[in-house]
Amino acid sequence: MSVNRFMINIDEAVRYMGYREPPDEAQMKTITALAALLEHELKPAVVYRVFPIGFIEGAVELKGTKLRFIGNSIREHLACCDSVVVMCVTVSSRADELIRLKEREDIALGFMTDCLASAAVEAVCSEVETELANKFSTKFFTWRFSPGYGDFPLETQPHIIELLNAGKRAGVTCTPSSMLIPSKSVTAVIGLSDLPIDKGRRGCVVCNLSKTCDFRKRGVRCGT
Amino acid sequence: MELKKLLSQKEFLFLDGGMGTMLQSAGLEAGEIPELLNLDRPELIEDIHLKYINAGSDIFYCNTFGANRYKLAKSGKTVAEIIGAAVEIGNRAKKKADREVFCALDIGPIGQMIEPNGTMLFDEAYDIFREMIVAGKDADIIVLETMTDLLEAKAALLAAKENSDLPVIVTMTFEENMRTFTGCCIESMAMTLGGLGADAIGINCSLGPRELFPSVEKLCGCTNLPVVIKPNAGLPDPVTNEYNVMPEEFAELLVKMIPLGIKIVGGCCGTNPDYIAATVKAFEGRKCEAVTKTLPSAVCSASNAVIIDCPRIIGERINPTGKKRFKQALQEHDLDYICNQAIEQIDAGAEILDVNVGLPGIDEREMMLSAIRAVQGICDTPLQIDSSIPEVLDSALRIYSGKPIVNSVNGEEKSLSAILPLVAKYGAAVVGLCLDEDGIPKTIEGRVAIAEKICKRADALGIPRSDICIDCLTLTCSAEQEAAMQTIEALRICKEKLGVRTVLGVSNISFGLPQREIVNRTFLTMALTKGLDLPIMNPNIASMTSAVRAYRLLANIDKNAKEFVENYGGDTAASSQPAVKQEDMTLGYAMSHGLKNDAAQITAKLLETTEAMEIVNNILIPELDKTGAEFEKGKIFLPQLIMTAGVAQSCFEVIKQSMLKSGGAGVSKGKIVLCTVKGDVHDIGKNIVKVMLENYGFTVIDLGKDVDPQLVVDAAIEHDVKLVGLSALMTTTLKGMEDTIKLLRQHHECKIMVGGAVLTPDYAAQIGADYYAKDAKQSCDIAKEVYGD
Repeated sequence: MSVNRFMINIDEAVRYMGYREPPDEAQMKTITALAALLEHELKPAVVYRVFPIGFIEGAVELKGTKLRFIGNSIREHLACCDSVVVMCVTVSSRADELIRLKEREDIALGFMTDCLASAAVEAVCSEVETELANKFSTKFFTWRFSPGYGDFPLETQPHIIELLNAGKRAGVTCTPSSMLIPSKSVTAVIGLSDLPIDKGRRGCVVCNLSKTCDFRKRGVRCGT
Repeated sequence: MELKKLLSQKEFLFLDGGMGTMLQSAGLEAGEIPELLNLDRPELIEDIHLKYINAGSDIFYCNTFGANRYKLAKSGKTVAEIIGAAVEIGNRAKKKADREVFCALDIGPIGQMIEPNGTMLFDEAYDIFREMIVAGKDADIIVLETMTDLLEAKAALLAAKENSDLPVIVTMTFEENMRTFTGCCIESMAMTLGGLGADAIGINCSLGPRELFPSVEKLCGCTNLPVVIKPNAGLPDPVTNEYNVMPEEFAELLVKMIPLGIKIVGGCCGTNPDYIAATVKAFEGRKCEAVTKTLPSAVCSASNAVIIDCPRIIGERINPTGKKRFKQALQEHDLDYICNQAIEQIDAGAEILDVNVGLPGIDEREMMLSAIRAVQGICDTPLQIDSSIPEVLDSALRIYSGKPIVNSVNGEEKSLSAILPLVAKYGAAVVGLCLDEDGIPKTIEGRVAIAEKICKRADALGIPRSDICIDCLTLTCSAEQEAAMQTIEALRICKEKLGVRTVLGVSNISFGLPQREIVNRTFLTMALTKGLDLPIMNPNIASMTSAVRAYRLLANIDKNAKEFVENYGGDTAASSQPAVKQEDMTLGYAMSHGLKNDAAQITAKLLETTEAMEIVNNILIPELDKTGAEFEKGKIFLPQLIMTAGVAQSCFEVIKQSMLKSGGAGVSKGKIVLCTVKGDVHDIGKNIVKVMLENYGFTVIDLGKDVDPQLVVDAAIEHDVKLVGLSALMTTTLKGMEDTIKLLRQHHECKIMVGGAVLTPDYAAQIGADYYAKDAKQSCDIAKEVYGD
């Protein structure tokens, strides 16, 4: 599928930037101009497939494939589900190019662009989730779970890329150290169920940043 | 195999359909390596080939798409084994055919992106493709397909051309916006791959034949090579993974492309022998409608084609001649400075950038490669590669992603025989200087004669006239006053008589005269009216750029004055009026308000009355300290801290320039090696730390991202640094950090600071770091502590 339009959540991007109070007028003007530039320039690509799943010791298997999702976190996450959406979303290598370019112009602009591009990926993911909700309207959904959360290994990433043929279909590749290229890309798993799911909160427990998180230190949350 | 002969004998050539599709319907599960079936189930692969042959395919693709070293790494099999088996199966199937058919060595993308977006080096990519091409030597033809990165396609095509005599078809994958995922446009693909000697080019995968129609139309309009089209069977269903266009509809849609000029057709994902059979049937009795077109003179980067159908500005500023600050940047390998020169010129109106990094005492080849990688990583303006050394040109032409201009060849035998073959091989355009062994001819006829000689030699190598840009050479008017008109007249004759483009370095005309700008501008305008296509000039001088734009307006090129009004029609003064006028502003105010230009100008003014070091120690550093303290207290936030750092950077740049002018050298507080560790590609945090450290007077040796531990050790030893800073963003790459620390401990005595989102003080201590820096501010504090400030 293609997502042609998306809107960056500026508040979210501003949070990524580390602002604890709203930016002043001049800074806000810069940030919204950069957001508009990204919304215009980025060409998101999305690829997803739906697979039935089965539960085995310590893992979840994707039926009809050789792939297994290993770990208790993903197992728990998909506990009530019969199938999963496996997805890959990118806002394209143009994001990396723009970050590099803006960094050269001014390091602060580069940093802002980087945070805005992260928020752009989130925005595209939300668009996809909305579309999925419409497409599978009889199903209930878990929230998005990505490799690297909890004990769901980041090394699952290259397998998801292969499974979805994301290189061909979205231009996303994976480095030997399991980093996605373009860098502003995500892979994720959403569980589908015929019964209502207690989504709970995504919470901090599964987050890799929980030990160093600035938000937590200040007693607030990042919003996820 | 003689592809040309085959193409002349047949109206259309038919390729096969999807291989993966056939394998999946035979039970291949997602996630398996399809190429292993060449060894495990050769009869299955052969059967698929035979099905396509029976359906009417003239050329079928062996099962080698992903059989590269990288993708086979964990399979336990070698590239030679897998590809050897695949081609053997192909040749076996050929023998069973009832007519002459051909098997292709099929090569897809490696699955890793080349830098700067990814981490793979160009030479690495070349080597991976070379290995495949050597292993597939018994095929009849090489197909490079599903490419999205023009540079990767180029690496593959060069590997094919340099290691095999087989014909090569290259197809890339375009989206509905007529660009590949990496932004490559169709014009750039056509001129770059055509120039490199591809035998046929085209489009495959991604979309169905309906969606690809506009892309095919465009491609047919910008190449004279046979055009290949191999679409998917529409789009796949996310649940069933089945495609939505049926064979007859597929064939009908391809028939609709015949008037566009297509020559070679087949199917990609989702297609099977039924699609090919339907297509062959639908094409029966049809004639190929490809026509030969006159292609325009043009150059390109991967994502931006510049057609030279009117005067285009070549920016001349990336060149150290007569520039102390530029020379210093080259000596210090300061690529940021070069990139800034590029951005400044593009903002001012440059449409092509000349890149010259020749300086005695530096490794020009290495510097040229670094400069091209850096500049093509941040902008899409086509480049003119400027060097007198053939080896430097050769290396630069290999790694340039697009079609550049080579600057330059001249009428000397030595130059003609060394430079023109490079231009022909890499499909570049070239600047031809009207001079030879005897210098610059005094007469108009003499210069035209040299231009003719260059053209004839280029003709013999197949370089089209549209790719030759003749430079009739600007002489200094104060020394040879009659020469100005001679240059312009020679230019006019060359253009009319030889059908070439013309280029001139403009600024030289006024050397030694007062009011140089007026002389330059007038000479430029005079030359434009006589047919100058490519002025090489300083676009940062507004009157020069505006002269070109005004010419384009008056010559009725800039229709409805669109470009002119866009650039000069706006009321720019009113929109960004600062609250405080610059003359009332302190440097501190400008810094804390992020006013970069004002701060730089105030610094320049201060330098008239104040010592440079006094400004640094009494204004800049205290202001940075104040911002740092406010950041720590939570009064300001990270973006403001970085913004102030960026402003300070621009002030330091002004100070650097001034110190160089007065012959002084900057004082460094110490050297620090900085990098993002092996495996990690996130470098914004490291770059922020770099700017802040530099502001505090440290010399930063920035090794970039995904840096091998050994390189860190080498740099630490070479520069004998007391402090190394390592950054990593992901938990998985902390291993790279640990390895780097271990290796450093074995070979070099120094302090190590680490930082990055997932690091904790405990973990930093655990992997043996001396310091954990929680943010950029703290990195500076650590550096000050280590260097005893």
